[in-house]
Amino acid sequence: MSFILLWLGVGVLGGVGAISRFLIDALVSSSGGGRFPSGTLVVNLSGALLLGLLVGLGLHGDAYLLAGTAVLGSYTTFSTWIFESQRLAEDGERLLLAANIVLSLVLGVAAAALGRMIGGG
Amino acid sequence: MVEDGLKLTTYFGERDRAGGELLADALIDVYERKGVKASALFRGIEGFGERHRLQTDRLLTLSEALPIIAVAVDRAERIEALLAEVREINAGGVTTLERARLLSGALGPAELGGDSGASKLTIYLGRQERAGGRPAYLAVVDLLHSHGVAGATVLLGVDGTAHGVRERSRFFAANAQVPLMIMSVGDDERIAAVLPELSSMLSQPLLTLERLRICKRDGVLLAAPADPPEGELGGEAHRQKLTIYAGEQARHEGQLLYSALIRRLLREGAAGATALRGLWGYHGEHQPHGERFWSLRRHVPIVTVLLDTPSNMRRWFAIVDEMTAETGLVTSEIVPALWKRSL
Repeated sequence: MSFILLWLGVGVLGGVGAISRFLIDALVSSSGGGRFPSGTLVVNLSGALLLGLLVGLGLHGDAYLLAGTAVLGSYTTFSTWIFESQRLAEDGERLLLAANIVLSLVLGVAAAALGRMIGGG
Repeated sequence: MVEDGLKLTTYFGERDRAGGELLADALIDVYERKGVKASALFRGIEGFGERHRLQTDRLLTLSEALPIIAVAVDRAERIEALLAEVREINAGGVTTLERARLLSGALGPAELGGDSGASKLTIYLGRQERAGGRPAYLAVVDLLHSHGVAGATVLLGVDGTAHGVRERSRFFAANAQVPLMIMSVGDDERIAAVLPELSSMLSQPLLTLERLRICKRDGVLLAAPADPPEGELGGEAHRQKLTIYAGEQARHEGQLLYSALIRRLLREGAAGATALRGLWGYHGEHQPHGERFWSLRRHVPIVTVLLDTPSNMRRWFAIVDEMTAETGLVTSEIVPALWKRSL
């Protein structure tokens, strides 16, 4: 695969990841009532699971760059997680704030580990 | 000077389009071209409209099309002259037209006789306008508070016209004169007593006075929303407008009041609700409060506006009544709704 084609692929697949995040986040958030940032949590957990799976399957090289860095890198979002946590703090929603931070971290690490296990890594 | 005025209010979404441009831009373009005395565009922080899709600035993905309320105020004949154009731009949305007394220049104590005994006084300013060596909006809110007016909320517009001239906020600018609106509600005699001082305090005073009913104050039920007059006025159907003023930290069963209320109304199928975040204000016995730089939580006032048919509003008022058992100021107004399909 040529160098230029590879990076074009990163750009295009990155866009696919971003659009998937938007659609899934919107779907989950609006059905969940919107108080807890469940959309972002679902996106980040599923992203961590899939990335763990890719690693477990032993994906490497260009394929790993395209699927991992491009698709999953733009699918998951750290900044949104932090931004929504800050909004919860501002609203004085202490329980939801703690849940958002702890659940993302604990379940996120567990999801990545589960993905690796499924992938056989 | 007191003149017959009209207040045109439009409710739509941030991403709604009219022809090739954003509805919000198209609308304020009209107000600029016609030199409307005061107009302002306010971006909501949470709400839903006819499509029943929740939008909230608390979640990134659900904040891409926040609800917008646009207000235009001028002499009656000047507002009537732009109705046709606004109708064309906002064909799908909701528009209401309210009678308002337009006050400008030097003012004496006004007669505010009315059956409800309460009035809404709205003051139109620029953000940087000053009075007595400090921001005019702080001086005005203090004045209203010292006269025992029931509540006041300062709302900052993102676009609009002031004294007929376009004022618009930009990303890299000091936002010198974006329009700012102070909504206050109180008993007639208290509002009337404020007017002379208010007009001498401001360099170019521009105010409107409207009738309304105070339904609740700090958890005390004073009156149910008024019934609309019999029959229809010239083909216009009426809408009931319910406005809830409360602090951003006001809660109902542990949840943020405005947010819990909007979600409940969405679930129950209300026509629409919009919450606006104020910059400064108070209601009831509280001292004026607003944004402070060094606090994590915000202590700003929130205004939540509901608009529906008077018969549906009876149901929504019961919900509002239940959720404002401890705090909040609730007012109701009957407003003629224009060119709404399927009435």
